Amino acid sequence: MNGIFVYSEDIAVTKQLLNIGRSLADVLQVNVTALALNETETDTAGLIACGAEKVIALSGSNPWVESYAESIAECIAKENPLLVLIGGTMRGKDVAARIAAWHSHGLVNSAMSIEVVERKLETKRMLYGGLAVCKEELSEGCIVTIDPRTYEEAAADPLRNGDVVACTAQSNDAVLVGGVCPIVRERADLANAEKIICVGRGLSSQSDMKLVEDLAEKIGAEIGCSRSIAEDYHWLPTESYIGLSGQKVKPQLYLSIGISGQVQHIVGARDARVIVAIDKNEKAPIFSAADYGIVGDLYEIVPKLIEKLGK
Amino acid sequence: MEDEKFDVIIVGAGPAGSACAYILAREGKSVLMIERGDTAGSKNVTGGRLYTYALELVESNLYKEAILERAVVREQIMMLSDKTGLTIDYFAGTNMEERMPQSYTILRAPFDEWFAGKAEEQGAMIAAGILVDELIEKDGKIVGVKAGGDEMYADLVIAADGVNSSMARQAGLKKEWNGHEVGIGVKEVIELDPETIQQRFNIGPDEGVARAILGGTDSVMGGGCLYTNKDTISLGVVLSPASLAAQKRSIADIYQDFKMHPAIYPLIKDGTTVEYSAHLVPENGWNSVPKKLYRDGFLMVGDAAGFVINTGTMIRGIDLAIVSGVAAARAVLKAAAPADVGQLYMKELNELQLISTMQLFAGWPQITGLPRMSSVYPDLANEMIGSLFYVDGKLPKRMDKSMLQILRKHVGIGQVLADAWKGFKAL
Amino acid sequence: MDIVACYKWVLDEQDIKIVPGSLLLDTSRAKGKISDYDKNVIEEAVLQAEKDDTVTVTALTFGNAKAKQSLKDALSRGPVKGYWVNDAAADIADGFVTANVLTAALKKIGAYDLILFGEGSSDAYGQQVGPRVAALLGIPVVTFVTKLEISEGKVMAARKIGDCTEDVTVNLPAVITLLPEVCKPRIPGLKQVLGASKKPVQEFKLADLDLVAENTLPKNKIKSIQGYAMDRKNEIYTDGTVDEKVNTLIASLTKEGLL
Ligand SMILES: Cc1cc2nc3c(=O)[nH]c(=O)nc-3n(C[C@H](O)[C@H](O)[C@H](O)COP(=O)(O)OP(=O)(O)OC[C@H]3O[C@@H](n4cnc5c(N)ncnc54)[C@H](O)[C@@H]3O)c2cc1C
Ligand SMILES: Cc1cc2nc3c(=O)[nH]c(=O)nc-3n(C[C@H](O)[C@H](O)[C@H](O)COP(=O)(O)OP(=O)(O)OC[C@H]3O[C@@H](n4cnc5c(N)ncnc54)[C@H](O)[C@@H]3O)c2cc1C
Ligand SMILES: Nc1ncnc2c1ncn2[C@@H]1O[C@H](COP(=O)(O)O)[C@@H](O)[C@H]1O
Repeated sequence: MNGIFVYSEDIAVTKQLLNIGRSLADVLQVNVTALALNETETDTAGLIACGAEKVIALSGSNPWVESYAESIAECIAKENPLLVLIGGTMRGKDVAARIAAWHSHGLVNSAMSIEVVERKLETKRMLYGGLAVCKEELSEGCIVTIDPRTYEEAAADPLRNGDVVACTAQSNDAVLVGGVCPIVRERADLANAEKIICVGRGLSSQSDMKLVEDLAEKIGAEIGCSRSIAEDYHWLPTESYIGLSGQKVKPQLYLSIGISGQVQHIVGARDARVIVAIDKNEKAPIFSAADYGIVGDLYEIVPKLIEKLGK
Repeated sequence: MEDEKFDVIIVGAGPAGSACAYILAREGKSVLMIERGDTAGSKNVTGGRLYTYALELVESNLYKEAILERAVVREQIMMLSDKTGLTIDYFAGTNMEERMPQSYTILRAPFDEWFAGKAEEQGAMIAAGILVDELIEKDGKIVGVKAGGDEMYADLVIAADGVNSSMARQAGLKKEWNGHEVGIGVKEVIELDPETIQQRFNIGPDEGVARAILGGTDSVMGGGCLYTNKDTISLGVVLSPASLAAQKRSIADIYQDFKMHPAIYPLIKDGTTVEYSAHLVPENGWNSVPKKLYRDGFLMVGDAAGFVINTGTMIRGIDLAIVSGVAAARAVLKAAAPADVGQLYMKELNELQLISTMQLFAGWPQITGLPRMSSVYPDLANEMIGSLFYVDGKLPKRMDKSMLQILRKHVGIGQVLADAWKGFKAL
Repeated sequence: MDIVACYKWVLDEQDIKIVPGSLLLDTSRAKGKISDYDKNVIEEAVLQAEKDDTVTVTALTFGNAKAKQSLKDALSRGPVKGYWVNDAAADIADGFVTANVLTAALKKIGAYDLILFGEGSSDAYGQQVGPRVAALLGIPVVTFVTKLEISEGKVMAARKIGDCTEDVTVNLPAVITLLPEVCKPRIPGLKQVLGASKKPVQEFKLADLDLVAENTLPKNKIKSIQGYAMDRKNEIYTDGTVDEKVNTLIASLTKEGLL
């Protein structure tokens, strides 16, 4: 049976994939198989409740999930699905690309949507950093990765039943993993923030972050940034940057300060209800992406904003 | 890397540099042309026109391969008053084969890139994305250039680095420009579909218009120009910095008003601006060309040497840049010893009639520099012509009287005579 | 030790315009460039060679005839030789085709101990060519690397994977994909630019490579590419004093119910 196959190393993401996977399967009238890697029995059962007809419970002793790419590929080959959905985490993309190569299949990374059109599967994804959207008709067996939180987790229905097949996975130990060091989340989750203030390279020094923090406090916003601020200057943690390769956010208010608004950045904030920009360059692309904007020096505008909001 | 030496290093890949590099490389000289822009043309103000005779001097029929926009078949002079416009339209015929010399509108970015590419095909070495910082001088002779930390040597360094030539200044041959010697130009490239352009300017698919515009600049001395390209229009003004300062307005503001003038705006309506840039133009003609254009191991071509003629109705810089590049190349090829190049260069400039042409127009800045040229006379012309077509059913004034009256309103008779005399003398 | 740095020649997205009144893309004014993050890839390879003179760096690209311009730029950044698979097929190649072509080229080249890729190309951002090539060559891959050290036939790499960093070790030959943070690309100097035009470039056609036809055909069918329509109010306050501008903004945000 050529069904839909879903996998993510993060079970929460697997459940998000099951949401869309299930509804596609219903339209196509096919089954859904989910793969769980080193998960507990309760968790694998949870995947059935979330819509899988079958769960392959892989287990192995190597904690590094990328080492199971071959095993996952084998499971997929056996099922010969018409669509493989993989969670679009970094690890997911790593595994997805290799499986696609071994199987000579197409791979669409970070699909924004996937739907059935005239019994064919179609995805949309960004091109040119977000400037354009590309619609593709998928070939059979295609792998699609979907970024976390693109879909809600599927609602669990404990009455659903299905099979759980346990397998031992063979890990490939070519890569030796030494130290793993979690990055501590220092700030609230931007993904769920109502208001976000975003800072860019317009800020001349880290000490000026104070200015932004003051404004954020005044209006009750979280602070995000452009990639450069996080990755080149390290003024804010990685998870604070918004954009194509960073976070996608959907706040009520997104206010940028000293961000030029290159497409790769703004693409992460395009779902905001209201976009506001402050930049001294009238020609900065951020203004064409904004609802409201002030052309001016942030060192004049922001203190004034704080002052007026404080009254 | 071992230290290399070139026959010639050319600084700047504008039309002057590329013309020179092309010929030298073709004739087997080792040439290095250094350009600060990421590609040739990327730093250059777009728009303008090219007279093909200049490219013919480089190589016969080369212009046929060039990236040109439209053949100029209509030469126009437009005079703007506050709300009205008077256009003189000279239709030069459409048969391009018969028409010699020809001129074409061009966009500088693609043209310059093409031209530099041609020079490269001939064997010139091109290093783009490199800013030349300094000349290297040894025993009173220029022997090479410095860029970043790198030094590069040559028998001759040619400054083709444009109006702000830092090479010419470093060589001690040129001082900073005086305010009255340069104009400051802004130019926009406005995108429109080709059919609209053809319709608005009454031209065929490959045909173009070159228009000089007087007035409409809020009395600031200077003028405007408009060229039709394939699917864009180049629109710009070149203004006198001193006059601008007196008016206390920015050139951007004045340009904005100019663009919105009721006689201009309909021409560019619905277009999208794809490029906006500002640049200097040598304005003072021959009188600002440095006394000496060369020294041992060094010479200047194009804008760096001040080779621009601006008559108010015509601006010629690109062709003179190419001609001077050709002259420099010929001088190098003819010189028996490096020390002869400078004098031979002057001789070639003479033979190519560049110097005599510049001299002929030497007095023009006095005319274009007349304050009345940029507002009083355009207003006057508009009102005079306007009155010819004014019918309100009342008894018209006698023509001679009404004309005189209009004239007096704008300017004293004495002033007109004085300006006319000045103009006459200048010619 | 041979390092091959793979880079893609792409259209500069900043020159791509959306045709007003439609969602069509106008690429006619777009210039080419080395994909942004691939400059970091070349740089990192060259930094490795500068540390250890037994390391040789070459650059490999698959592109159409226009990609010729890229070689001078790439070589001015330090590699000693360029390999260019010159074929118009690159225009429509997806990750599947690109990986097949690069793999075939690498086999033909023969000399590779470490193959470096970018995290994703700035046009397609397909984020797959690197690991695909590793899979096809049957060698290990380490993705999303921010630090790299080569010694005694091994690579020590630091990865940055969303919520953690990892230190990994892998034997060569291997593929590594780099995050741009790994290093800052240099701006080539005059001598480097001049040197580049003297460096050898080996050109392949698809026909020179050991490839079956079906491996050069993209997998998915592109149905449309449309500009992203930005529908925003675009009320931008340019004129007036700081006071006035801030007041107007506060008024607008209050009206939106955001303050
Ligand atoms: C494949 C790829 C993926 C990418 N992914 C992302 C991503 O996910 N997220 C991301 O952010 N970027 C991403 N980028 C990078 C992106 O293209 C931009 O380079 C980056 O967003 C620029 O950051 P910035 O706006 O802070 O800096 P800049 O572009 O340098 O802008 C700084 C702005 O500050 C303004 N300014 C300066 N001083 C002042 C002042 N005193 N007052 C007011 N304004 C001032 C300037 O006018 C300018 O507009 C990606 C790029 C590529 C190629
Ligand atoms: C608004 C405006 C309109 C004009 N219209 C016309 C027209 O219609 N017709 C006409 O014939 N002329 C026109 N001109 C004049 C014409 O553009 C110039 O005369 C002509 O470009 C001169 O050519 P050039 O090669 O001497 O210098 P440029 O074209 O200025 O080229 C100089 C080159 O040198 C490079 N460079 C400078 N410094 C360095 C350095 N230190 N290191 C490396 N590279 C360097 C620059 O990047 C540039 O590419 C106009 C000028 C302006 C500003
Ligand atoms: N046509 C190509 N030629 C050479 N390398 C490429 C090509 N396309 C992609 N790459 C490499 O693969 C990386 C990832 O590309 P992509 O999978 O398209 O996002 C890029 O950063 C390059 O290093």
